[in-house]
Amino acid sequence: MATHTIACPFCGLVCDDLGLDQDRVDVRGCAKAAAGFARRPAIVEHRIAGRAVPLDEAAAAAAKLLGGARLPLVSGLAADLAGIRGLIALADRLGAVIDRWQSSAQQANLALQQHAGALTATFGEIANRADVVLLLGADPAARQPRFFERLLRNGGALYRTAPPHVAFIGPAAAAPADPAVSERVFVAEDALLDAVGALAAIGEGQKLAATTTLPLPALSALAERLAAARYGTIVWDIAAFPAAARGAALAILLRLMRQLTRRTRCVGLPLGGEDNAQGAATAMLWQAGWPGRLSFAAGVPQHDPWGNDAERLVAAGEIDALLWVAALTAAAAPKSGVPTVAILAADAPEAAAEVEIRVGIPGIDHGGAMLRADAVVALPLTAARPSGLPSVAAAAAAILAHLPAAS
Amino acid sequence: MITRLTGARVFDPANGVRGEVRDLFIADGRMAAPTDRADRSYDLGGLVVMPGAIDIHSHIAGGKVNLGRLLMSEEHRDELVARGPATRSGSGVATPSIFATGYRYAALGYTAAFEPAMVPSNARATHLETADLPIIDKGAYVMLGNDELLLRLVAAGAEQERINDYVAWMMRATAALGVKTVNPGGISAFKFNARGLAIDERGPQHGVTPRQIVQMLSRAVFELGVPHPLHIHCNNLGVPGNIDTTLATIAAADGFPLHLTHAQFHSYGTEGDRHFSSAAARLAEAVNRNPSISLDVGQIMFGQTVTASGDTMAQYRNRAFASPGKWILMDIECDGGCGLVPFRYRDSNFVNALQWAIGLELFLLIEDPWRVFLTTDHPNGAPFTCYPHLIRLLMDRSFRNDCLAAIHPAAQKATTLGSIAREYTLEEIAIATRAAPARILGLAGRGQLGPGAAADITVYAEDGDRERMFAAPRHVFKAGVEIVHDGAILAAPPGATHVVRPDYDPAIEGVIGAFFEQHMSVGLGHFRLSEGELADAGLSLVAQPCRPRGRA
Ligand code: SF4
Ligand SMILES: [Zn+2]
Repeated sequence: MATHTIACPFCGLVCDDLGLDQDRVDVRGCAKAAAGFARRPAIVEHRIAGRAVPLDEAAAAAAKLLGGARLPLVSGLAADLAGIRGLIALADRLGAVIDRWQSSAQQANLALQQHAGALTATFGEIANRADVVLLLGADPAARQPRFFERLLRNGGALYRTAPPHVAFIGPAAAAPADPAVSERVFVAEDALLDAVGALAAIGEGQKLAATTTLPLPALSALAERLAAARYGTIVWDIAAFPAAARGAALAILLRLMRQLTRRTRCVGLPLGGEDNAQGAATAMLWQAGWPGRLSFAAGVPQHDPWGNDAERLVAAGEIDALLWVAALTAAAAPKSGVPTVAILAADAPEAAAEVEIRVGIPGIDHGGAMLRADAVVALPLTAARPSGLPSVAAAAAAILAHLPAAS
Repeated sequence: MITRLTGARVFDPANGVRGEVRDLFIADGRMAAPTDRADRSYDLGGLVVMPGAIDIHSHIAGGKVNLGRLLMSEEHRDELVARGPATRSGSGVATPSIFATGYRYAALGYTAAFEPAMVPSNARATHLETADLPIIDKGAYVMLGNDELLLRLVAAGAEQERINDYVAWMMRATAALGVKTVNPGGISAFKFNARGLAIDERGPQHGVTPRQIVQMLSRAVFELGVPHPLHIHCNNLGVPGNIDTTLATIAAADGFPLHLTHAQFHSYGTEGDRHFSSAAARLAEAVNRNPSISLDVGQIMFGQTVTASGDTMAQYRNRAFASPGKWILMDIECDGGCGLVPFRYRDSNFVNALQWAIGLELFLLIEDPWRVFLTTDHPNGAPFTCYPHLIRLLMDRSFRNDCLAAIHPAAQKATTLGSIAREYTLEEIAIATRAAPARILGLAGRGQLGPGAAADITVYAEDGDRERMFAAPRHVFKAGVEIVHDGAILAAPPGATHVVRPDYDPAIEGVIGAFFEQHMSVGLGHFRLSEGELADAGLSLVAQPCRPRGRA
């Protein structure tokens, strides 16, 4: 039986070299993919108050619940691109807030791009070109298990003749074990911002006074390496920085990259993109004009990074209904205390929701598309084990169809 | 159901109709032969009818546009579009959200717009985005000429036939309507830290010159029978003196057809105290002499916009003029790049003022309206919502001269614009915005109103103020359905996606597959779009005719 290759939806790399033989997936040694493809449906019926109903009946109840709310929240958003498109349409019609769950780190990256800009590159460019790589804050493999294999230990790189020099800067406990890493410079979490500042300052030719909190000689050497690189690449996990330091750290990193670009090339790569986070941000950009933190309550899209933060809205009790969507993950809806419609993958445990709609996992139960973390490449997802479970897009469309016509 | 439009003056240049009063008939979404039966009739007495307008070059979707939207968040906040009974909400003007893009184009009487800079690796995301673009027809030109494999093939001395196969394969894989090349070789060179690339300069790594790329791509597109000539954004965009590069590029094509895009940005000399001058007359003269050359202008308008380009090399230079002072550069997948730089064009700035005049000189000095297309290179020169104003500048000399009198005085002296008497006629506007774009893109049954053509129709009220006239069509019909009435969107059905599907020798797939396998971050099978997935996303593809042409 010939094997064909499929893409994996379980992190922002969206590796597309997994093997599929009948319904067996060769996960290329990735534990995260193994766990993802091992997911099996447990609950497949849709429910209203615990009672099994057909999809259409559940959708009608969901429309009634959400349509009657003053300020519903659409969150979770762990769906393929078609699902995201459908959920934004639904939020627009409902006059709802729509925002991913726990997206503060992603929003920090996006906010800097909005207000200052970016110097960046896609995976394929970095994999073929990067000769000096800085990893800031965390082990990329923690989010993207095959990061090193796919981007830095790849054979056949077009433009580099030797393996890249890969240096980690961050807490010892978060240091990557991957053999591609040639240097580990330990800096405590609360000194990460200072380390980034020192790198930039050294790069700009400033002399820094000796300090006990920062390994200045190592940072100086790295600043020199970046300046001498043909294609330096700085990879960061902004979630590894203290929340209050994120904006400043990103601004300094951009300054550093701009400074380096005067003489050579240097690009940045923010880590992330799990659960099609980049697809959600991009679809919100094209449909509404902003990459998240959106409210349609006034009949127009409005972006408020603080006001429309899903976690804050739930914590502050400002919403009166929740539409929770988790298909790529099996994440349960947060405790919100408000009437809830949950669109859930069939392996998610029973939900404390008034209406429960069970959907397939994109890339397992049905096909679809997902955007890689680099925001450029969308990959097709294959139905590895096709099932009759509806998609998020179908569920969203069914709910929309039960809402009264827009006025 | 037969719909009859009676009493209007019809401008249908493709069919030689030049303002005569004609009745038009629509059946099943298409123009039909005259008949006595009509289920519905519109009395359009005293009104002007043209085919729906077609924008040949407008950055409306894809990764680059989304980064533009990010940078323009302030404008999005100030320009909100409310959801309506038939419409979605949205925001923005220079980088409108995708729904607002479709509604605004339709409200201006446009029924098609083409995304000119689709990076191959971004093709899927671009098409999925345009699945949300309402009303208007669409399509995309795939960006080639900085893609590693093409440069390798050229460097290795590949035969023209191999290049043709590669181009055809790429067009099919990315569901493209045309091929664009942007700063040929230059985007790749910038990744190796080169900051400029002259037309006969050997690029890094492969030693390929822009001239070689232009030669092989223009010929490939011609020989494959792709209707639209190679769409080229020349090297040295925005650089004073770049007219020499532009003229050399025309020569490099060796007589194969070329479409010079946003030619205004490539028509600069170095004369005068400020070493920046208009070379529009030189380019116009070359275009007038060369029937195989067409261009779109890329007119600038004063005000805020964002420049969005695949040309990272030029955008890196332009960062110095960013207003507000932020910018984004991205290197993409060994096949392209993109750069976003917000701009505020000012009439009090000498360079901007002269750019404005240079664009208008090009419009007015190129004699054949079938070869000059009305664009602002949206949003690079200005948002497409400026088109009615631009039409008035072309049709109304005294208005034009009033505007000229308001720009930087040194720029007034540096342009011949004031002495140009030409005023576009309604027929010429209909050519430059309808008939000619449809013809040069090879869109069968578009841009004209002959029997069998798509019933994409715009109805204007005559108005001496041409800006007012073109800003507010009375009716717009898409596929025979009235979708705009006095500015209100009545319905928002999806438009078609136009593609061409040139043939290739399947052997090329082995070459491309091996390259992807060894070097790229996706496999060939996933890089290539399938028609099924496009249909699933809600796109309806229309394949335009493509007949191979022998060697010229
Ligand atoms: S690294 Fe990510 S995308 Fe790749 S196989 Fe593992 S989980 Fe899937
Ligand atoms: Zn353009």
